[in-house]
Amino acid sequence: MARYYELKELETKAPKLFGIPTGTKLDDMFYRIEREGDRYIKKPLGGIPHLAVMNITGVPDTGKSVFAEQFAVTQANSGYRVLFVTVESPANFLYTALKQKAEAMGADFSRVEENIVVIDAAESDELRENVRALIDTMAYAIREKKTSNVIIDSITGLYEHKEVMARQIVRQVFNFLKKFRQTGILVSQKRSAQASESAEAAGGLAVAHIVDGTIVLDKKLIETRWDVNLYGLPLGEVLRTLRIDGCRLTAHDSKTWVFEITDTGLVDIISPLSDYVESKIR
Amino acid sequence: MEIIARPKGGDVDRMAEKVFMKSIEILGGLKKLVEYRNLTWLPSLAEAAYVIVLRNEALKTYSEIARELGITEATAKNIATADDVKVLDYIRGGLEERPKEHMAGGIAKLAYRALKESGELDLDEVSLNDEMTEILEIAWAVQVLSKIKGLDFPAGKEQLAERLAGILVKEKGREYRIEELLDRIDYPVKSPSELLHKLKMAASA
Repeated sequence: MARYYELKELETKAPKLFGIPTGTKLDDMFYRIEREGDRYIKKPLGGIPHLAVMNITGVPDTGKSVFAEQFAVTQANSGYRVLFVTVESPANFLYTALKQKAEAMGADFSRVEENIVVIDAAESDELRENVRALIDTMAYAIREKKTSNVIIDSITGLYEHKEVMARQIVRQVFNFLKKFRQTGILVSQKRSAQASESAEAAGGLAVAHIVDGTIVLDKKLIETRWDVNLYGLPLGEVLRTLRIDGCRLTAHDSKTWVFEITDTGLVDIISPLSDYVESKIR
Repeated sequence: MEIIARPKGGDVDRMAEKVFMKSIEILGGLKKLVEYRNLTWLPSLAEAAYVIVLRNEALKTYSEIARELGITEATAKNIATADDVKVLDYIRGGLEERPKEHMAGGIAKLAYRALKESGELDLDEVSLNDEMTEILEIAWAVQVLSKIKGLDFPAGKEQLAERLAGILVKEKGREYRIEELLDRIDYPVKSPSELLHKLKMAASA
């Protein structure tokens, strides 16, 4: 049976565009354009777009999980329920990480604790290996616990030994999150051999095409005199960068930004890379 | 922080079976249905149990349910929106006239709600008392109904034997292989309810 819509019919079904705060400066990097008189002005969204499914990608140790946990604590502390599917780190380790984040962020941990539901796929082969069982369990948790955000850390862990299935699995998860009206963060691993400036190979073939947007985290080891002069950092230091590689739901900043993982384990976005380099040269 | 460490939800068949069993319990048990020759209700109840579970647990749309169960969208909607309060009132004799609601739908909704409120729907195992054990003796009826899904009636012996092979029928404390009972009944069988009725009679004889 052919199904089609008159564009007007979709008006009531279309989601409203507003931001879901991440607890980082990334919140100001998504914006929408509004007309005021004769001029068009940028208005920051204040978070990732509501109901977006974002792919957070990067090689190991770039801060993807830190970002995901910071997002979870920010949302839970604001009273929104979060479903955290942990595929890499067992739930008890995640608990410790979230507790530390909450303390560093000055969040009320009892509130955070109350609002986060964890599916431990790290220690359950059945949940990790059987996507259908995982999706059913997620549906159960969303329905019973009334969550509005879902984090999967990492989606790559669901197809780590069957990459040929990557698109199929990501597509199922993506469609599921859309159907259940969840804002989603999918963490995906990029292999070190894959070009860091691109998102196309993130966690499998063309996963980035399925999701609504991709945020690429990267790190650069300062290892030459040239690097020292350019970035103004000592040899052996690590420069971390973040870039919104694309988002089809709203306009966004396209610059590469420098960020740090603070001593307390939080993502702190500092400035655009070009400004950072300029300030170091001066 | 609640941690879910094992798969949950999603086992629609198991949940529909529980709703089906609970529906029979609400109606007074299978014996009562036999006494009043109301076994024809069983296929409707099985269908309604599936509709209610698919709608509420799997969050399927009416068109998805209709496709999955081979029924019309209107039937799926009638079942899911049946007024269970009116139906309960009617069963208990509070209403003289039969309401226009989908009866099986209303009963399945009552059963679903009762299971949901007691938390039994999500439990892996349900603790059984003597009464429940007695009811569970008709688990074979649910198995039969689920195996003949999509089968055209009237049906012959070969078609039924192929679908139902291996089912064990427990009746009044005795156990029969279904093949044995299929040898004893007349063919063709006109409907699912007639099949259940004949099997039950064969086992009780």
